[in-house]
Amino acid sequence: MRVEYINPFVEAAFNILKEVLGTELTRGELYLKSSSQPVLGVTAIIGLTGDVEGRVLFDMTEETALAIASAMNGEQMTKLDDLTKATITELANMITAQAVTKLSELGFKFDITPPAIFTGKKMEVSDVSVEALIVPIEMPLGKLEINVAVREKN
Amino acid sequence: MSDTIQELTEEQKLKKKIDFKIITFSLGGKEYAIDIMKIKEILKESKFTMVPNTAPFVRGVHNLRGEIIPIIDLRKMFHVPIMDPNKREEDVLILKLEDITLGVIVDQIDRVVGIAKEEIKPPHPLFSDINVKYISGVVESDSKLYIILDVDRIFGKEEVLASTYDREERIEYKAPEKEIKVKTDEEDIEFKFVAETLVTFKSFYVTDLNYEWTKRRFEEWKNLRTSAGEKVQLENASDAENFLRPFYSPYTGMLWGNDYKENLQKILPERYQGIINVWNLGCGKGYESYSIAAILRDRYKNNMIKVWANDKDLLNISTAPNLVVSKDQIPSFMLDNGFVEEVDSGRYRFKREIKDLITFEYHDVLNRNDYPKQDIIVARDILSFQKPDKQEWLIDQFKTMLNEGGIVILGLNETLPAKEWYKLQEGNVIAYKVEKY
Repeated sequence: MRVEYINPFVEAAFNILKEVLGTELTRGELYLKSSSQPVLGVTAIIGLTGDVEGRVLFDMTEETALAIASAMNGEQMTKLDDLTKATITELANMITAQAVTKLSELGFKFDITPPAIFTGKKMEVSDVSVEALIVPIEMPLGKLEINVAVREKN
Repeated sequence: MSDTIQELTEEQKLKKKIDFKIITFSLGGKEYAIDIMKIKEILKESKFTMVPNTAPFVRGVHNLRGEIIPIIDLRKMFHVPIMDPNKREEDVLILKLEDITLGVIVDQIDRVVGIAKEEIKPPHPLFSDINVKYISGVVESDSKLYIILDVDRIFGKEEVLASTYDREERIEYKAPEKEIKVKTDEEDIEFKFVAETLVTFKSFYVTDLNYEWTKRRFEEWKNLRTSAGEKVQLENASDAENFLRPFYSPYTGMLWGNDYKENLQKILPERYQGIINVWNLGCGKGYESYSIAAILRDRYKNNMIKVWANDKDLLNISTAPNLVVSKDQIPSFMLDNGFVEEVDSGRYRFKREIKDLITFEYHDVLNRNDYPKQDIIVARDILSFQKPDKQEWLIDQFKTMLNEGGIVILGLNETLPAKEWYKLQEGNVIAYKVEKY
């Protein structure tokens, strides 16, 4: 993945999460992955088009999703209902949109597709044809993994 | 995605006296054909699953509705130029032969032509780039001459190729362990120990690629250490580093000097057509990438140049796009050409015109390498630090990724097998070209 793309995603994730959740967060070591990998339980996905093609995944456990949704809505959420899902999708949308804005300031043209959310157990994502950048983020609410896979259109 | 053959034949139905149908296609700018009875279907496909350690003309395998079939690139197989190497979707003919179904990639599938059997003339050796024993005849239709390929012959059992497709062999295939040539005397045991500690401390793998150098260095090292009264064995990382110090190529971790540039330019061809694509593996902080971009720009003023530079070290590669160097580190040809500009007192960076030639990517080359065909691959002192099976896999990738006449620039102390690669050396620059066979 192009070096210039990395920072906007990391920064956007930090800014937004800090802003909407008001919690401490630490970033784990970034790494690359190209094999299939298990998904934690709740995954929001947003597609990227434009100069590149790819997608961003926001992956977390159900507990983390509930904790995030509770913090964002200011009320205790207990199950994965429509509101919880909408909150997580919105979070994904905010982070990706800010990253894309930062990228466009740098001169890269990205568009995003409407977000979608997957929930379930024992899920796995495999897109061996693109290498993914993993940005692990640790919060008191739980762990969030941002998985960015993009490639240049040649 | 597959078109049915019937659709194509509509226009041909009117023709008189047709008892033989062929599908025509182009290969390297010439017209060829295959008997329609051998063809199961045609399709357009962009992605094939690569299989490591296969012949260069094997593009990979394809999942045809559950059946895994090998995909052969006919242009590679017959060494004809690929007309449009950047084509997104390849034209594939699926052949159904007696004992195998396989796909072959051609430049462009044309249409179905109906002919009469007696129109087929025996082949003449001068007709084609393809060996005459693979041709079943030639035929003229609409004032075009089609060379009919004998696919049974080409892909038949008797041919050497057959072994490449043997499915059992493919599944059970294991990358050959490159053993260091073991002899029994003590010295060789010592050498083996050193080689093993190089893996432990520096993940440097002794294989055919660097065996010659390592052996030479070992002798030198042994004399050095014994005369100093020290142990021959490498006891820690700094010993290993000392051992490897002379291994690194000239100008490692700095911009390539004028002498390296002169030598490299002697190896490079007179001119390139269109875009010059360069793949720079393990570019680190980007010194190599800027050097090669500047050298190419200096030599080829009018070509588009595209350098794909990647490294899996995030810290190093992050600094690459904004590399700043002090004036004394910059070779004079870069200054003279005005490739650099001063940022602040005595510190320089590359101008847009050079920087824009390079795409820096955080990427692990052991994952899938999704790049267009390359004219130059720069992999100096990279392969030796990969596991033996990965070394082979990468070298194999180089072979499939290189354009005709493309070169691989390796480290000064790395060697590729002479039976497949042709060595071009000019002073301190070593490059390899794929050997024609």
